[in-house]
Amino acid sequence: MTSMTYGQPDGKATTIRKTFSRTTAVSIGINADRAIVWALLTNAADYARWNSTIISIEGDIMADAKIKLKSTLDPSRTFKLHIKEMMPEEKLMWGDSMGQRTFSLNKGSVNGVTFTMHEKIGGLMFPLFANKIPSFDASFEAFARDLKSEAEIIQKSSR
Amino acid sequence: MNKEVFQKAYEESVSQLRSYILRMTASVEDTEDLMQDTWIKASRNLSSFKGDSSIKTWIFAIASNLTIDNLRKKKRWPENVTDICKDAAKKNPKHFQETLQIMETSAHAKFEIKEHIAFCFTCIAKSLPLEQHLCILLKEVYGFKIQEVSQILDTRPARVKYHLYTARKKMIDVFEGRCALINKEGVCHQCSEINGIFNPKQNTQEELVKIKMAKEAEKGEKERLLDLRLQVLKDLDPYHSSAHDLQLHHLEHNRRVMEQYLKEKE
Repeated sequence: MTSMTYGQPDGKATTIRKTFSRTTAVSIGINADRAIVWALLTNAADYARWNSTIISIEGDIMADAKIKLKSTLDPSRTFKLHIKEMMPEEKLMWGDSMGQRTFSLNKGSVNGVTFTMHEKIGGLMFPLFANKIPSFDASFEAFARDLKSEAEIIQKSSR
Repeated sequence: MNKEVFQKAYEESVSQLRSYILRMTASVEDTEDLMQDTWIKASRNLSSFKGDSSIKTWIFAIASNLTIDNLRKKKRWPENVTDICKDAAKKNPKHFQETLQIMETSAHAKFEIKEHIAFCFTCIAKSLPLEQHLCILLKEVYGFKIQEVSQILDTRPARVKYHLYTARKKMIDVFEGRCALINKEGVCHQCSEINGIFNPKQNTQEELVKIKMAKEAEKGEKERLLDLRLQVLKDLDPYHSSAHDLQLHHLEHNRRVMEQYLKEKE
């Protein structure tokens, strides 16, 4: 099991900038069964319903599959991403040649889970366009907030 | 478990089981095949029943696995299935003649709006992802608890909760956008239209008042309206309702139209 966490699980994003890369991360505590959080993270067609940062995801989120993602951060672009790693209810990683995003679920302090998402982008050419890439902080915080909210609503649903 | 105990439990479940498989597959023929396969598989594996669940839950698990195998390779239907099938029916005079013949010759073919509500749900629910479809029927129509649904589908209760929640959300959205019975802006009036054709002397408004969901529509409580819609399904056995010959004929029509439609879309 991964133990990757970034700072406090308070839903605040942090970004570390280096010459050839940039890493943004967010952690948040979620009072829900990890199966619910995992289901939300891996059901591509359902993302747009609960996640305000995603316009659409086409394809199936499964190991080695390809997906097409449209984000509110840059609605004009479609990101073609490869599902690089999937460890059920623990870790999901997708990315392209520019970078990769990792989602991880760890046991929470009381009940539930700590969700962590981090993305590293970079490469040799990165310094040339680094300042053209918008900050991910607000989008990461919204993603974490939406996931927490939806998972906790489902957890509490009496049905 | 001995054969007599199993046989008794099977006979007690058989109506619900057949209705469940029909509502999953929308195919009378596949339902009969799957019923037979369920019987054979269950009766050959009585020793594998460990008593971790009720016998009914165990039988539904076998039937669900066979149904999933049957449906896994088939495409899900679109949300506007009833529009597509209505257009196809209009272009097919044979369908209308067959319908009239059934109405004239069968004692179980008097069109009723509530039966069409159940029929409509059966068709539109086939637009849900398979897991969501299974969960909403098992939990909300056939009365299994979340724990039992998780045993039937061999998944975690939390996942059942997720599928159930998302299925309900989607069905609420679809019917809110489409169904004129609960939303005056809804685009689909099919049940009232067909009632006008088959029961021309009947006052549709008077008929609608008898349906709790239509009566409570103005209150606008979406979750409650879905529960009332699901109650219509719970109260109807698609094989023994007063209009089952008519509705099964409609369902077969829609299934054929959908198979053709999805084939052409490939």
